[in-house]
Amino acid sequence: MQEPVFSYVPGASLLHRLDPRTKIVAVMLLGFLTFRIENFAEIGVLFAFFFALALLSGLPMRVFFRAVKPMRLFIIFIFLAQLFFTDGRALVSYWILQPSLEGLEIGLKLAARFILLLLFAALLTASTDPSAITCGIERMLRPLPLRLLGISSFELATMMNISIAFLPLLFERVERTKAAQAARGMDFVKNPFRSVPALAIPLLRGVIRDAEELALAMESRGYQGSRRTSIHELSMQKNDWKALLILALFIIFILVL
Amino acid sequence: MIRLEEVSYSYPDGTPALENINLTVKKGEFLGIIGKNGSGKSTLALQLNGLLKPQTGRVKIRGMDTRDPSKLPGIRKLVGVVFQNPETQFVGRTIEEDLAFGPENLCLPPVEIKKCVDMALAETGLQKYKYRSPKTLSGGQGQCVALAGILAMSPECLIFDEITSMLDPESGKAVLETIKKLHKKGKTVVYITHNLEELYDADRIIVMEKGKIRLEGEPESVFSNPSLQALGLALPSVIELAELLKTHGMVIPWEKTFSPKSFAEELCRLFLKT
Repeated sequence: MQEPVFSYVPGASLLHRLDPRTKIVAVMLLGFLTFRIENFAEIGVLFAFFFALALLSGLPMRVFFRAVKPMRLFIIFIFLAQLFFTDGRALVSYWILQPSLEGLEIGLKLAARFILLLLFAALLTASTDPSAITCGIERMLRPLPLRLLGISSFELATMMNISIAFLPLLFERVERTKAAQAARGMDFVKNPFRSVPALAIPLLRGVIRDAEELALAMESRGYQGSRRTSIHELSMQKNDWKALLILALFIIFILVL
Repeated sequence: MIRLEEVSYSYPDGTPALENINLTVKKGEFLGIIGKNGSGKSTLALQLNGLLKPQTGRVKIRGMDTRDPSKLPGIRKLVGVVFQNPETQFVGRTIEEDLAFGPENLCLPPVEIKKCVDMALAETGLQKYKYRSPKTLSGGQGQCVALAGILAMSPECLIFDEITSMLDPESGKAVLETIKKLHKKGKTVVYITHNLEELYDADRIIVMEKGKIRLEGEPESVFSNPSLQALGLALPSVIELAELLKTHGMVIPWEKTFSPKSFAEELCRLFLKT
């Protein structure tokens, strides 16, 4: 089976050991920074920063590039759009196409920004257990008055956890439904307009039944949607504060320069 | 431990599922509940820890009424249910996380949760799978994880709702052995099945039909009851064999020896004079 993108790769590096909250905040700040930088030198520095962190994580580079790969068409598209539709000094002129120098520059920057965003996000997901991420998000959301929206941070965290845990089951069910319909003579290639509902309706019915059973099992194990604890112990260590401090200095350095 | 008084329950469409059920589950007993599909036994299981509430009558667990919402967390801690389909009982991405779900709901501190998880893993022999995904396990192991998820909450009473019906016979037997071990360690067990073969060692058996309790008693009295087959249940194969032999004039008293092992011993005693 193909390895899923943005998956967790266990390890014991410094990055793995940081509190998930530190890493979530860091990715948000770096994402913000990515869209504030102006020139190629700064983009270069950010790429260098990413490679330094990637080395620190001790994970093979392909883990991170796997995250960029599915987005390559989108990135190429925005690059080309910028290249051809920005007014400026023409590089060449062919038929109605007039790629401009300004377009090339803006396109390259935009593409680099998206790639950086994906790489930093991959750095978070590869070095952090998904349930630790949800636990971190839960702890960061807890002070917010979510009660006004009728939900609690605990419910949100459980929802995220279960979605992650249930994805493989969903794919399995798709395959099973496909096989069941194919056995009854449904041709998925020939007739997509008939086969989509033929797949979707039994799938939906199955998923709803699964969800009902799961809800019973969860309730039976004492789930109430209210306050609950977690097996993941979150505590900000010295290293977390150091990491955040270094990151803050790095951001100030880039923005001031 | 669990007491049902005149419990009735109908589904929203009006079909009655339980009618005036009176039942007491004693502490430490192994109670088997058997019946055809649609006899109301699963509905009964859901009544036993407040997942469903009786429409008339009362269910009390150690004196706590299941209709009182404030008592529910306490009831769920005392009585755990394992369901039929292992796949829809997993909430975690790894087995460790899945087993932590119950203790997390009890709001235990992380150190305690880890202890509960390790204890449950040890009880079911799943230690080596701690960091695996529940989806990578076989059906039998999956049911062991579901059982461990309940055990992590240290309940006193375990309810099993047809947990072997989706397993192959071999893993079904293994799961049943684990349950018997837990029963010997003092857990109260309510075992729901439609396979009488699984209930040789039960302390007491209840036979249900159309939402009512039709027969009740020790295994030998239930197995020898002539109305059993009329209730749509197949006799355990050993007893069927003994009955067939009887029609041929060979009488082997099976009332005390209805497990395959003791039946074989009885046969040997009679014919080999050992």
